[in-house]
Amino acid sequence: METFTHIINGFAVCLQPINLWYTFLGVLMGTIIGVLPGIGPSAGIALLIPITYGMNPTSALIMMAGIYYGAKYGGSTTAILIRTPGEAASVMTSIDGYEMAKKGRAGAALAVSAIGSFIAGTIGVVGLTLFAVPLTSIALKFGPAEYFTLMLFAMTAVSTLTGNSPAKGVLATIIGLVIATIGIDLQSGQARYTMGIPEFQDGVGFVVVVVGLFAMAEVFRGLEDMVKGTAPAAMKITGKLWLTREEWRRSIGPIWRGGIIGFVIGVLPGAGGTIASIMSYTTEKRISKHPEEFGHGAIEGVAGPESANNSDTAGALVPLLTLGVPGGGATAVMLGAFIMYGVQPGPLLFQSRPDLVWGLIDSMYVGNVMLLILNLPLVGLFVRLLYIPQGILYPLIVAISAIGAYAINGSTVDLWLILFFGIVGYVFGKVDIPVAPLVLSLVLGGIMEQSFRQAMTISGGNVKVFYGSTITVILLVMSVISVLLPFIIPKLRALGSSGDPS
Amino acid sequence: MTDRIILVCTLLLAGVYFWATAQIPSLELGDPLGPKAFPRLLGAGLLISAAMLLAEILRDRKKPKTGASSAWTWERHEWVVVAISAWTALYILVFEPLGYMLSTAIYLLVLTAYFNRGRWLMNVLTSVLFAAISYFAFTKLLGVNLAPGILPF
Repeated sequence: METFTHIINGFAVCLQPINLWYTFLGVLMGTIIGVLPGIGPSAGIALLIPITYGMNPTSALIMMAGIYYGAKYGGSTTAILIRTPGEAASVMTSIDGYEMAKKGRAGAALAVSAIGSFIAGTIGVVGLTLFAVPLTSIALKFGPAEYFTLMLFAMTAVSTLTGNSPAKGVLATIIGLVIATIGIDLQSGQARYTMGIPEFQDGVGFVVVVVGLFAMAEVFRGLEDMVKGTAPAAMKITGKLWLTREEWRRSIGPIWRGGIIGFVIGVLPGAGGTIASIMSYTTEKRISKHPEEFGHGAIEGVAGPESANNSDTAGALVPLLTLGVPGGGATAVMLGAFIMYGVQPGPLLFQSRPDLVWGLIDSMYVGNVMLLILNLPLVGLFVRLLYIPQGILYPLIVAISAIGAYAINGSTVDLWLILFFGIVGYVFGKVDIPVAPLVLSLVLGGIMEQSFRQAMTISGGNVKVFYGSTITVILLVMSVISVLLPFIIPKLRALGSSGDPS
Repeated sequence: MTDRIILVCTLLLAGVYFWATAQIPSLELGDPLGPKAFPRLLGAGLLISAAMLLAEILRDRKKPKTGASSAWTWERHEWVVVAISAWTALYILVFEPLGYMLSTAIYLLVLTAYFNRGRWLMNVLTSVLFAAISYFAFTKLLGVNLAPGILPF
């Protein structure tokens, strides 16, 4: 009952004019970031952190969450009209969405994306509302050893499930942790790996790493594509921005199923929106009466994945808010934002700041309604963004990144770091090393080391503390399973490959 | 080939990291682990990922049919990345001496002149207006410090 009061009070917080305004700003920026190639939600949120410094944390976090889930709406527009996912998780939408656009049904594809995103996004927020409190009661039992093994599980899942090579995922994770050890050690006051650079005493900020790896590297790739002449051109919106009765009938099932798949995948660490949309696509293809239409403009192939990657965002906020441990790259950046505002997400936050937590969660109901309006009647405005010459867009992204980085400390060291991590991100992309695990472990690294040392101090240096309780054993077993999964899945596929589409 | 280079780099990184960890002075008071224990664990982690990489290289050698997976060969177009990096480095060098507004306008002008060729009016307007408007918006409205440089405002 107390929770119910908190939920209602959350609406009182998020419906304040100032917070409505920041919700709107967030989802508007999210849609723009989603539509534009080159700058994703992770870099977008990271760039806002230094600029919004000193703002009321509730409003700032409401705005950043708006960017996070709003980007998924915008991403589908780009996927449908130029066959390039504006945002990574829209990759499945680009297959059938673009085919629909070629057949003159771009309007229907955009409409079903927006409606599906709205329904599934709302399903996701309902799930978040229902599951948050039960999970926090488990999380309250967590000590340092439990937190350490939980972070270990999140990292192993992310490192082996993103990208094609588990070895490279693990390598990326460890590199992130190594970067996190740079700076003054909080317990002993000892400077570590600062290489004589005074700015490094505070550590390498995750903002510059994220902006470098995501925005700057994308600028390199985009401009390289322009020189190659492989940069794509945008199609015009054709057909009415609405669905026929037949299209409705075919879409409603995929939207519901996609919404549920996305939420479940979102809660689990590692998988994320891309995997959620792939799972939804293969599910729809498998149960469809016309699987041969998939890849040639089947509306189910747009409705399902687009719904899945939207409810995934709400699912991914469940472990972040209730446990304080994110399960992927974008939520790791969100955690970084929370910490920058002096707010530690986790079970205690639900007790100490219910107004902030529920204001944030409830703002997502409002934000999804705003996004439906922005992305359905007003989609024509955002499509114009696609006509901005890329030769202007990419240089501007560098300048925006420079503002964001310089604003942190007023030091050019942060600008050099953006360039450095931009080159690193570009090279990693070429050699197939995933960057999401690196970002996750960089943000978690400091907390992970603290909980490791606290656990060891409590136990008097006995490592038994890490397999001494039921929770740690379960988490360790899940970590081992997530390491073994990439080796088991191909074997399972080989066994039951009768109806397998890939 | 690419994977072998990554393997060598990983081993080098592990070596440097172990060496740098040994350089941290130890003054362990009341903390049984001290500032070196976790880094040593990470050094071991780097060695584990190197071993995993080696296992993947050996596995892929057995079945060479997936040869095109992650081979990176130098392409003619990649000079663009080198050139942009050099130009960006120059931008960072003059960022504080010249100031945000001037250096950013020049930086954008050159890049747009090359990548958005022929549309001079559009490029000049975008570069100058973006640099000026963003400077005043951030310094005057949001109170964010951007290097003023040699310009008087």
